[in-house]
Amino acid sequence: MDLAIVFKMSWRNLWRHKGKSLVIGVILFFGAFLMTVGNGMVSGMEAGLSNNIINLFTGDIVVISNEQEKDDILFSFSGKPLKTIKNFEAVKEVLDTHSAINTYLPATAGMVYVFNSGTDLGSIMLLGVDFDRYRKVFPDSIVLTEGAIFKTGERGLLVTEEARKQGYEAMNFWTLPVNGELIPEKLPEEAKANIDSLEIKRDIVFMGLSTTNSTPDVRVDVTGIVNFKALNKIWGNFCIIDIESFREAHNYVTGADQNIEISEEKRQLLEDDGLDSFFSTESLIDNSLVTDTDLSIETIKTATQRSGRPVNINSGAYNLAFIKLKKGIKPEKALAELNQAFQSKNLNVRAISWKKAMGSIGSMAFLIKIAFNAFIMFIFVVAIIVIVNTLSMAAMERASEIGMMRAIGARKGFLRKMFIYETGVLSFFFGGIGIIAGIIMIYLLQSANVTTADEILQLVFGGEQLNPIFTYKDLLLGLVELLIVTLLAVLYPLRIVGKIVPLDAIARD
Amino acid sequence: MNVIEIRGLRKDYPLGKTTVHALRGVDFEVEEGSFLSIIGPSGSGKTTLLNIIGCIDSPSAGSVKIHGEEITRLNDRQITDLRLNRIGFIFQTFNLIPVLNVWENVEFPLLLMKKHKKEEVDARVEKLIREVGLINYINHKPAELSGGQRQRVAIARALVTNPDIVLADEPTANLDSETSHSILELMRELNEVEKTTFIFSTHDPEVLDYAKEIVKIKDGIIVKQG
Repeated sequence: MDLAIVFKMSWRNLWRHKGKSLVIGVILFFGAFLMTVGNGMVSGMEAGLSNNIINLFTGDIVVISNEQEKDDILFSFSGKPLKTIKNFEAVKEVLDTHSAINTYLPATAGMVYVFNSGTDLGSIMLLGVDFDRYRKVFPDSIVLTEGAIFKTGERGLLVTEEARKQGYEAMNFWTLPVNGELIPEKLPEEAKANIDSLEIKRDIVFMGLSTTNSTPDVRVDVTGIVNFKALNKIWGNFCIIDIESFREAHNYVTGADQNIEISEEKRQLLEDDGLDSFFSTESLIDNSLVTDTDLSIETIKTATQRSGRPVNINSGAYNLAFIKLKKGIKPEKALAELNQAFQSKNLNVRAISWKKAMGSIGSMAFLIKIAFNAFIMFIFVVAIIVIVNTLSMAAMERASEIGMMRAIGARKGFLRKMFIYETGVLSFFFGGIGIIAGIIMIYLLQSANVTTADEILQLVFGGEQLNPIFTYKDLLLGLVELLIVTLLAVLYPLRIVGKIVPLDAIARD
Repeated sequence: MNVIEIRGLRKDYPLGKTTVHALRGVDFEVEEGSFLSIIGPSGSGKTTLLNIIGCIDSPSAGSVKIHGEEITRLNDRQITDLRLNRIGFIFQTFNLIPVLNVWENVEFPLLLMKKHKKEEVDARVEKLIREVGLINYINHKPAELSGGQRQRVAIARALVTNPDIVLADEPTANLDSETSHSILELMRELNEVEKTTFIFSTHDPEVLDYAKEIVKIKDGIIVKQG
């Protein structure tokens, strides 16, 4: 009976004070609307980033060498190559046995210099992988647009459309796959105008970064042109290359190196750090290598061509590993466990989050999320302040009425309930409409197909397309936020109501 | 038997740097079933005295007992319950709940008590609304009633809980003389039938004809009782 009368009075009070009710209602409507859309944007961004960063390129965690000074390994242009992971076999053992890991991809990544006649050195970012394994860890991450994919054990380079465009702008050549046809529609406007004089390259000669200036040049055929499934402005900087070519260009230990059979004496010589060994009289001249045969170019080519023996590419060097966790595993927990495992086995590696590996881009995504949440919090605070003001005014204006109710026997609790009901009804009526309108807006934004080529906006969108998503989790979050707004907004007015005494019924007449 | 016993009652109001002494030591008893009028000029302390008896205001010093219970020692909840269960109020300006109609306004204190069945509530409310002559107005909101009708609603509401004491602060001040007489007649009738103690303040000499006892107050001191 008590609740029925409270509800009846609250409802009628709302109608009696239509103006104020409407003011609070409109604020709650917009608050709930913006909160819903904001939550949808954050969810969309998170899902997009998860799909387009974690699932497309980095995985949840990246393992790098402890000798690597900084964590931002993917987009830092320090002029130094990434440090290789020593004793990868032992690292592999940890990764193979850790229960949180779903799958992982050992790889090499880094910037290389591209040679081109007639222009200065150019540069591109390369990701060296065992392509079959890459496909298993990051399935459908790239779309072949021209040419063909190279197979495991084959040499080859997959140039991204983005890198091809950048290559044309920096070095004036257009990259095509071996046996690929020129597709004029894909050319930049300037290239279309000079199509007859356009330089076409079907292979790339490049040299890995080195602090010792001792890296060799490597020529690799372009087998295909690819696009990443999303975030091409970011991932498109990375061309995918067979891992052995990458290793050769950086003087890393290759799988083929591990295949070479040398005498014990030479092995000892290579393993000896003392310079004196190089200058001993016994080993200075190897007479067995002296020949009378005429060395033509063809002979040299034949003598120096790559061995046809099968190579275990997994036995070469890596400078990182991308790890995908099992569903439901918390990355922070897995990160801590992995680092503990590495430390306990004295492995000179560390596990870092994808955000750290992405450097400023990863931080940007994090900052954008913070900004979104700050915006939602701002809406919260503004809504609370306005509602607190309006309700407090309403409580003071109704002091005589409230005092009279106290005088005839209404307890403070009864009056507080009445105020909570009034605010609650407003909150859930107008807030509910706001949430529904927000959900409709989310679907409208989804169907509007808003796309962007801007890198920052792509991070905001979580991909190339704005794709806010509605989830029941967000609906629950919206309702909880609404409840919190209501409770916080009603606290101060309730204090005012509690302080109104029966004498106010008379004193204010 | 005394329903109210007041000893050495003082009430001071700070007003800027000075203090207004509204009551300066009042000693006073009221017997059960009284129909008592407190008279005195404006500012004499009538309303303050009624407010303290009705537990709407608290004294600065002194003792106030209702049915032998010292009200100055009660906490807020106990005082609220005392007001609800033992005291009925009729205010000068009617003070009805604007969003409730006549029936609901009268019913309101009974709903707060939470101890009556719906049938009992309905019967009690209907009886009182009939007695105050508003049975044809039960669905009217206060804004749709005349001053006299509103005061009748206030009387019905004050009596619905069957209180020991009904306090009325200048109940006819805002009414025309004809309505005033009908209200006072109603109060006297209820006093005789229900044996309810009525204490009302006034400075209208015509109202005094209805009082069985008169307490005269001046400058915060009772100057005459009888």
